[in-house]
Amino acid sequence: MGRWFVLGTLATLAIAVGLIVGPAELSLARVWGALTGSENASAAAIVLDLRLPRALLAFLVGGSLAVTGAALQALVRNPLADPYLLGLSGGAGLGAVAAIVLEFGSSWSVPIAALAGALLAIVLVYRLAIVSGSVLDARILLLAGVVVGAFASSLMGAIIALSPAQQVRNAFLWILGGFDAASWQALTVFAVYAVIPLGVIYRYNRPLDLMALGEEPAQFLGADIERLKRILYVSASLLTAAAVSVSGVIGFVGLVVPHAIRLVWGHLHRSLLPAAFLLGGTLLVTADAIARTAFAPLTLPVGVVTALIGVPVFVVLVRKWAT
Amino acid sequence: MIGFLLSRLLVIPALVSALVACASDVPETNAGRLVDDNGRSVDLSRPVTRIVSLAPSVTEILFDLGVGDRVVGRTRWCDAPPEALEVTSVGDGLEPNVEVILGQQPDLVVFYSAVSNEPAIAQIESLGISTLSVRTDRLADLERATRLLGRFTGTTERADSLIAELEVDLAQLEESRPRDSIPHVLILAWDNPPIVIGEASFLHEIVELAGARNVFEDVDRPSLRVSIEAIVERDPDLVLVTADSALTNRVDRAEWRAVPAIRDQRFFMVVGNEYSRPSFRAPSAIRRLRSALEEWR
Repeated sequence: MGRWFVLGTLATLAIAVGLIVGPAELSLARVWGALTGSENASAAAIVLDLRLPRALLAFLVGGSLAVTGAALQALVRNPLADPYLLGLSGGAGLGAVAAIVLEFGSSWSVPIAALAGALLAIVLVYRLAIVSGSVLDARILLLAGVVVGAFASSLMGAIIALSPAQQVRNAFLWILGGFDAASWQALTVFAVYAVIPLGVIYRYNRPLDLMALGEEPAQFLGADIERLKRILYVSASLLTAAAVSVSGVIGFVGLVVPHAIRLVWGHLHRSLLPAAFLLGGTLLVTADAIARTAFAPLTLPVGVVTALIGVPVFVVLVRKWAT
Repeated sequence: MIGFLLSRLLVIPALVSALVACASDVPETNAGRLVDDNGRSVDLSRPVTRIVSLAPSVTEILFDLGVGDRVVGRTRWCDAPPEALEVTSVGDGLEPNVEVILGQQPDLVVFYSAVSNEPAIAQIESLGISTLSVRTDRLADLERATRLLGRFTGTTERADSLIAELEVDLAQLEESRPRDSIPHVLILAWDNPPIVIGEASFLHEIVELAGARNVFEDVDRPSLRVSIEAIVERDPDLVLVTADSALTNRVDRAEWRAVPAIRDQRFFMVVGNEYSRPSFRAPSAIRRLRSALEEWR
């Protein structure tokens, strides 16, 4: 109970900080005024149209990445699994770079192309990993992910080598991740989309416990383990693909947040998954607030900040809890 | 791999700006030798008849100096003057393909002054071919670059007159610069992530001389990544974009409507490669922008 309270408080605080800090200096009173509709148009636009959807989207993406990471680590029984491991970042990056270099002049072309690239990578990895009929082999899944990712990255490298330097830089900055494209629109689309895979992963929290122990214990479940594995893999991948398309590739959150929760909380996915969601969201909102303000008006890529604050926190946790 | 490419990309502008010095005269070490923008001492005594130019601004200066017929290689970005397009392209200017350059049998290769070009410079020098490194980021670099190239090609008189004319033009533009109701301009380079043009850039100089104020003039960088919020806070009157960026279509998303100038479509498009690099066409580019700004007022 106490732990949930702490996580909930941290999450609320993080979102509040996301609303209060930013390159435009607004006092607490003015932020409150903007929220209650008694501020001028500029402050209202900053708080309601920029900061609020941005903080909520960052929270949702951070939570989704952490849940995906936790599920994949159990699914492939590998502590190094993270949401991008299975070829997704390569596929999404390839799509985004292609859209930027080919100059599709629409504001939605980059996210849509990134999503398409990620989905293509998922299909390829899935096809490669399904061996002997319908068995999804975890080892082959990992290998297929790495191989497809490497292939996509190489194609991306080729496109980049042949493109103007400025465009390349823009493409790279996009891939490095950030929430500059956050809006109520993007938030709504992502939220509606994310609910289903998040719900599916949570629903199978018990099979995930058993899978984390190994395939044989999982067989005692009685359920169709192969079918569950496929459902979980597809859910996790679709969720990551959506996250990439709204915010680029943000490392670290999906890898380390689940481990941090396991260290202090235990391995049961029924509580691990929601706790990882809250901590992942908290971490990413905080990182984004720092990215926007530390060197204002310049902004840092948010993935840089997640690692800079996440690594020391993780080190402390390991020293304290891992014995 | 991302890390590797990224370090190459991000390091280049940083090093280039680190190399920026204020000197505008060409320092001479001793008779017949010069120091180029990479600090390398170069030999003037050899005749120069076949030049490969690896920077669009250099190509343009060479044509302006009247030695365009000696240019035997250019980058694929060298699109001015129109005659330059008839010269064989050797590909990219940064980290160029040395073999392709040698294929043009040059006796001088002019590089853009960047650390990433050093390996290519060393290779070409080791074959006994002269190289020259020239920095051409801003208007102030134009004089120095032109004098260097003038000395090398034996066209110092032409260089002097080009520079004198430019100085007169710029002084006149500076003097006639509008002093009141100055529009505040956002120079937008990219939408996601938002990248804007700062003080250390050619476009900034053009915009200010045209009688506008760059809302990010306080940031001493060629370009910077910002958040949309920082743009809202600086509340630009106008948004300047280059015609080839297609940015007016790209900022139609909901989050950009928080910027009043973008919500109200107060875009200002500059057309032409004279806005992308310093050249002797800068005064006319400034005049065109100024009269367009007058209309907006």
